[in-house]
Amino acid sequence: MFFFALLVVYKLVDIQFVQGDQYRELAEKRTVQNVTIPANRGNVYSADGSLLATSVPKYDIRFDALTPSDKNFKKHLKGLSDSLAKFHGKSSSYYQQNIRKARANKNRYFLLARNLGYTEYLRFRSFPLLNMKSYSGGVIVEQTTKREHPMGAIAERTIGYERWDDQGNVTRPGIDGAFGSKYLRGKDGKRLKQKIGKGQWKPISDANEIEPQNGYDVYTTIDVNIQDIAHHALLEQLEKFSADHGSVIVMETKTGEIKAISNLGRTSKGTYYERLNYAVGESHEPGSTFKLMAMVAALEDKVIDTSDVVDTEKGILSFYGRKVRDSKHGGYGKISASKAFEVSSNTGLVKLITGSYKNKPSKFVDRLYKMGLNNTLDLPIIGEGKPFIPHPRDKKEWDGLDLPWMAFGYGVSLTPLQTLTFYNAIANDGEMVKPRFLREVKEFNKIIVPFEKEVINSAVCSKETAKKVQQMMKNVVDKKHGTAHNIYSPNFSMAGKTGTCQTEYWKEPGLYISSFAGYFPAENPKYSCIVVIHKPDKKVGYYGNVVAAPVFEKIAQKIYSDTPMVDAIENLEEKFAAVNSSYDSYYATAQKYKTIMPDVKGLPAMDAITLLENMGMKVTLKGSGNVKSQSVSKGKKIKKNQTVILQLS
Amino acid sequence: MAKKKLNSILKGTFLISEDSFKNWRLIIFLSFLAIVMIASSHSADSKVHEIARLTEEVKEYRSILVEGRKKFMELKMESSISNKLKEKGISASDAPPKKIIVKSQN
Repeated sequence: MFFFALLVVYKLVDIQFVQGDQYRELAEKRTVQNVTIPANRGNVYSADGSLLATSVPKYDIRFDALTPSDKNFKKHLKGLSDSLAKFHGKSSSYYQQNIRKARANKNRYFLLARNLGYTEYLRFRSFPLLNMKSYSGGVIVEQTTKREHPMGAIAERTIGYERWDDQGNVTRPGIDGAFGSKYLRGKDGKRLKQKIGKGQWKPISDANEIEPQNGYDVYTTIDVNIQDIAHHALLEQLEKFSADHGSVIVMETKTGEIKAISNLGRTSKGTYYERLNYAVGESHEPGSTFKLMAMVAALEDKVIDTSDVVDTEKGILSFYGRKVRDSKHGGYGKISASKAFEVSSNTGLVKLITGSYKNKPSKFVDRLYKMGLNNTLDLPIIGEGKPFIPHPRDKKEWDGLDLPWMAFGYGVSLTPLQTLTFYNAIANDGEMVKPRFLREVKEFNKIIVPFEKEVINSAVCSKETAKKVQQMMKNVVDKKHGTAHNIYSPNFSMAGKTGTCQTEYWKEPGLYISSFAGYFPAENPKYSCIVVIHKPDKKVGYYGNVVAAPVFEKIAQKIYSDTPMVDAIENLEEKFAAVNSSYDSYYATAQKYKTIMPDVKGLPAMDAITLLENMGMKVTLKGSGNVKSQSVSKGKKIKKNQTVILQLS
Repeated sequence: MAKKKLNSILKGTFLISEDSFKNWRLIIFLSFLAIVMIASSHSADSKVHEIARLTEEVKEYRSILVEGRKKFMELKMESSISNKLKEKGISASDAPPKKIIVKSQN
């Protein structure tokens, strides 16, 4: 007996003192914890303060099939199944069967719905069984914080997100991704907490406490209205031509602010959604829109002038056995350099460029490099496509075909945004501004980081060169021979360049990229815009002016008709003698005659009626115009509700 | 000696002896402190529950706000308005609105 007592004492001492620290720690771990307090992620706003991305709680609803009593289960099963069926659009018997099965299988974690918004969550909580307390009805609610885009699918890819998968890999498209760690995320806090009832934790000390720092709000340059127009104009055109994908960017000329950016790709079902950020990420052969760069380079080097005459050689040129063709069969004859640009003659441009640079192609490429065309824009958005322009000193990349093919946009590669940045520089008389997506970073109303206009290159070309090509681009739309004359509008001016270029010709023939880049209004440009549509259905159309230019026109038209025309006048208080004297005499009559019939002959019917009805008479009119005669003659005493007939002329 | 003291404590003489009043004073004071401590700890707990409830409420209101905003954004978008008005035969004007500003008014 004593021996057992000794053993007990030994064990007591052992637990209390030898292993005591370990056990105390274990106990503390269960009741005391350093809890992480998550910081709220900042919001993303549009330029006018509309919410583009924010974090909201979402609810997953599960069901503990064993909790409800038999009585409750039987009573409410049908009602619950009916409600679920109505919510999900499936049959009620499907749910009855599944829930019964879950109860039979002792499933205590049966999924009913995932990712519900708050109002949907409330609706769920009104369903039979689910409206009971969780210990009698069996409802299990799990709440998570999800990123939501209130604009829906519009600009989704550019607004972006930051998402971690199970392995901890992170994907970060768009603005939300690019500025996540820098501004939006904030810093999590930490606090020592002790467990109390109802699954809550209470703070127990002020020491070692880190307050959470909420993320900053990010204000983008995106204009919700322009974005909406661009998205729908692009969507309509993609659907019409059942194209593979396309993108539109609208940029403010002076500041480089991106007002709208839309990227739509086709699903296997033929619908479109923001699939990838093609505008920023996809570097492709630009085709004829690159003729502007070639033209600017040649004009800037002063090797050609706008009036130089070039022979388009019946529309076919041959280099090392390969042919350059014009889209117009038989070519354009002998035309000026500027007209070659306006009609988008491939042979014309190729002859102009090879004629000037064939002995020193590096001069041409150096000029393109000097204009910054081989550099990325250094955008914050992750995944910008790299431009590619081969240089003659790189013997592996360069051959005799490169110079002529470059003249009309093949063998080089640019992203739509890079092309647009160059067009914007031309619209801006040579000043190349960096496209930017952010206006400012704010914490409530305090500006934390303002963003200013950034100039990449203060002059990609001289003002004279810019003016010359501006005129050409205006003619592309204005002149009958211009390739985009189909979008000409007498109300407002546009300037730009069409592009129709073959793509993936190494895989199969007949795939095209249709594009249009330009700016509006042609004089004093406000916005520049590029539209790129990949692989339109050839049977419906594939030329840049037919596929892409109408999107441009629609956006320009909308912005034009949304911008009020302002007219200012000095003064409203004009005095007209005739009006005043007529009013004075009317007023005098009205004051003078109260019970005696006045002479209303010669007065307009409108005045006569007012006058007489105010006196309490009933007026019947015959004819129209001024009063010719009155049935009650002047000076007669009148009675209330007496009728007077006025003959008008 | 020690045994005697222990006995007197167990018997509770310090509670009933002649001069027990000063002991009672201390005992009541200590009990009072204990009550205050328990009460404040409970009120702290209930505050934690209250905070949790309010946080939940804030989240709910946030969701309502965002959902409302989402709906509003969809409604106010020009494309959805023009879609709705199409049935009535109303479409957006091609001509921009004109603003007339009167500079001075005497």
